[in-house]
Amino acid sequence: MSDQTDVLQGTLDLLIMKTIAIEAMHGWAIAQRIQQMSDELLRVQQGSLYPALHRLEHQGWIVAEWGTSESNRRARFYSLTKAGRKQLGVELSKWERLSSGVHLVLQRT
Amino acid sequence: MRLWHIVRSRCRTLFFRGGRESDLREEWQFHVETERERLEAAGMHPDTARQQALKMLGSVEQLKEECRDARGTAVVDGLVRDVRFACRSFRRAPLAAATIVATVALGLGLVTVVFTILNAYVFRVDAVRSPEELFAVERQGSGSSEIAPGFAREQYDALVRDTNVFSETFATTSDVTVWIDGLRRQGRLVTGNFFRVLGASAARGRTLMPSDEDQGGLPAIVLSYRSWAQYFASDPGVLDRPVLLNGAQFHVVGIMPEDFRGLEPMIAPDFWAPLSRLNEFRRSDLQPAPPADLHIVGRLKRDVSTAQAVAQLRAWDLQQPAVRSSARTAPSLVLEPKPGTIPFSAETMLAFIPLFFAFGLILLIGCANVANLLLARAVARQREIGIRLAIGASRRRIVGQLLTENFLLALVSAVLAFAISRLVLATIVHVMTTTFPSDIGNLRLAVPPADWRVALFLLIGAVVSTMMFALAPALQATRLDLVRAIRGEVVRNGRPGRARDLLVVAQVTGSVLLLICAGIFLRSSWVASTVDPGIRTSGIVSVKVLNERSRGAMLDVLTREPSVADLVASWPGQFGGLGALPAFAQGPNGNVAVSYQFASPDYLSVFGIDLVRGRGFRQTERSVNDAVAIVSEKTARQIWPGVDPLGQVLRIEPDVDGLSAVEGGRNINTSNNPLLVSRSVVVVGIARDIAGIRIGGMRIGDVGVYLPISVEVPTAVLTMSVHGEAERVRHVIADRLAAIDPNAGEVSTLQTLARAEVYLLGVPFWLTLALGTLALLLTLSGLFSVVSYLVEQRTREIGVRIALGATGRNVVALLLSQSARPVGIGVLAGVTLTSALAAALLATPAAETIGSTVRLFDPIAYAGSLLCIVTACAGATLIPASRAARIKPVTALRQD
Repeated sequence: MSDQTDVLQGTLDLLIMKTIAIEAMHGWAIAQRIQQMSDELLRVQQGSLYPALHRLEHQGWIVAEWGTSESNRRARFYSLTKAGRKQLGVELSKWERLSSGVHLVLQRT
Repeated sequence: MRLWHIVRSRCRTLFFRGGRESDLREEWQFHVETERERLEAAGMHPDTARQQALKMLGSVEQLKEECRDARGTAVVDGLVRDVRFACRSFRRAPLAAATIVATVALGLGLVTVVFTILNAYVFRVDAVRSPEELFAVERQGSGSSEIAPGFAREQYDALVRDTNVFSETFATTSDVTVWIDGLRRQGRLVTGNFFRVLGASAARGRTLMPSDEDQGGLPAIVLSYRSWAQYFASDPGVLDRPVLLNGAQFHVVGIMPEDFRGLEPMIAPDFWAPLSRLNEFRRSDLQPAPPADLHIVGRLKRDVSTAQAVAQLRAWDLQQPAVRSSARTAPSLVLEPKPGTIPFSAETMLAFIPLFFAFGLILLIGCANVANLLLARAVARQREIGIRLAIGASRRRIVGQLLTENFLLALVSAVLAFAISRLVLATIVHVMTTTFPSDIGNLRLAVPPADWRVALFLLIGAVVSTMMFALAPALQATRLDLVRAIRGEVVRNGRPGRARDLLVVAQVTGSVLLLICAGIFLRSSWVASTVDPGIRTSGIVSVKVLNERSRGAMLDVLTREPSVADLVASWPGQFGGLGALPAFAQGPNGNVAVSYQFASPDYLSVFGIDLVRGRGFRQTERSVNDAVAIVSEKTARQIWPGVDPLGQVLRIEPDVDGLSAVEGGRNINTSNNPLLVSRSVVVVGIARDIAGIRIGGMRIGDVGVYLPISVEVPTAVLTMSVHGEAERVRHVIADRLAAIDPNAGEVSTLQTLARAEVYLLGVPFWLTLALGTLALLLTLSGLFSVVSYLVEQRTREIGVRIALGATGRNVVALLLSQSARPVGIGVLAGVTLTSALAAALLATPAAETIGSTVRLFDPIAYAGSLLCIVTACAGATLIPASRAARIKPVTALRQD
């Protein structure tokens, strides 16, 4: 567990949006999926997950619907809106520019 | 689409807060359960797994709070909490809250009075259909002061016939004065389509229609709502009975709604009547009737621009035969928008700025007082605020909370201010209408209705005054040394001595300004009341004959009346027998502009005007054709400088074109009037110069040339010197004449006219006196509380001083000297400001009129007001100071 890193400030929104781009998911699954996909390298602070979801919903990027989970319990499923999908593209290209920039700086100095 | 999601999300947040929170709780539970199951599946003990899951997510309440922040509802939540908190703190200190509300409401109410009037004049649109399409056709006046001449009926008919820029056109007269049931009323005569073009319908009965223009039957009039309410006590029965109008019967066919003003800027006339009945509204003696001065207003066609319309109208005007006898070149036509309001121009603002300023000063001084109170309260609340800051409230949050608290109070004040403004307006209108001397004229006043603009003004006023009185104290209150504040010590730098001094300076400045103004108006009206007009004003009653057919009978009654001593006649005599018309006198040195008046033989002795040389008119010289004249000393010097005027021949040429510049001159029949022909006369007497009665820059009674007339001449005003008190005799005479003909004549006393200037100066005097007194009272209470507070804060220090040997006198002197500084600066600033304003006023074009009536630099007014303020301020300081002088050192030192 100790080699896990907290999700970088400001990238949580991007990770959430990317995660639910394929299918609608509930909060717990989103946190799990991010951990799995990063080969357990990234850890989502569960306390900051829900505020982030609310913020995204408030901005109109995602919507929440009540549904039934795999364990047959009532859960809230989050999915991207059309505008959210567009926003994801914007955020992705922004991230790519940033990370390649950081990468270049680290390599050349 | 995104917008839809946002709106939905935010609405849910705002209106279904509970639903959102319970959603979150359920989600939280689901998350914890799933996490626990995962950990259990990984082999963890159930209890440990549950604990671990809870630790990972945190408490549900914390999550709720964080989500609220993320959604941005914190602002709303905070506001709700602030309001609740404010209500609690009002309950804790109800007296302070009540003081703030009352003070701000008073100031805000007074400013609202001015705004309501401004609103009524400038912003309130008349209740007519599409007023923006209405345009008046006017002739460009050659000078700014000159009233543009109107049109004749034939010109109006021709304009309607020959031009096609207006979809509809109507014409009205200027105000026409008539006597309805024996009382003076003013109305407008309009073409029958007037109400149809304006798209207005009656509140009761019907409006005038084109068919009302046909002669025959009882003539119809329509009353305005105000005159119906004021003069007919809102009696619906007025529609069923004929009213006497100038002695003839008329039928009231309708009453207009309250918000219809007939395109008048502020207040509707008393009535409207058909234009074809013009002659029944005029005095029967003027034959032939002079052409009516008509105002033409049209509704511009939608597809015609104003430029096109003006071009067509000017072309039409050039083809018109010169209907008017006036030799002046006709100025070209222009179109003036006629929205029924005063155009919102720099000039209008200039007229309202002094009013806003004077009334706004009360609000400013009031706000300064409240700010002072809040500064004092902030010290009392230091501990509370200190604790809240210490446990993590941000400064912004606390300032916001203090502002919310005061804004709530300001809102309550705004409601109260509305009530105050209505009350003040109603009082002003009531006092003005009941005290205005009815023989001077008909005062058309009504309380202007309030509308949404007034409400908006009050709301903005509440916001602005909150900023004025609460912002600085709130900032000051949150600037604290936390540790000491929590311990309950009064933090020294939290005591804003300089801010308080500044507030006192501002208050004193405002009071000085207002009280000096009050002093100036008082002095001016006092001076006006003591100026000797040079003529007798007491015991004089005059009768204006309105129905010439009754003149003979009236003369009979008046000569037999025992209280009448002498009966004389004059023309013109619109001012209680006094009056004059302009003329040119041909002397040896060319034309001299003089004023002249026809007067019967005993006229001069009735008014107490002495003859310096020569003789008065003989009893046989009573015809306008008798070629004799009496000339005043001044006029004689002007026409024949250095020559004996007695026996000289003088040619008088009435200045017909100059008539319109004279009060009432526009109503004089200029065609074939035997009184307006040129004549040559011989000077038989020289009359003493008189100052005349001054009213607003006019000098009434100052006549250059007197010519003879008899009491029988139509339109001549009858004037009597009477035995006993003039006002009583006026009533006696009015009763006697009413027995002959209820609309036969208007009876007035010269005394009222002579007092008019005093009355007119009395209005601003009482206004500024009321405002100045209010300002001074607020200032005094402010000063009093500042000094009292200071004494309380410094009890210990004063105790030490007394213990060390300071006498009571020393202590009083110390405190006096401390409040003397801000008061002194305030007095200086106030005097400077007042004289600067006076100087600025004298630099305006109106300076001559103002300067002759109002003594702007009266030293007694300045000195008196200052003495009053300084004494009052000293008093306000002395009371708490003498309390300080009685402080017992032992008690004071034991205090902490």
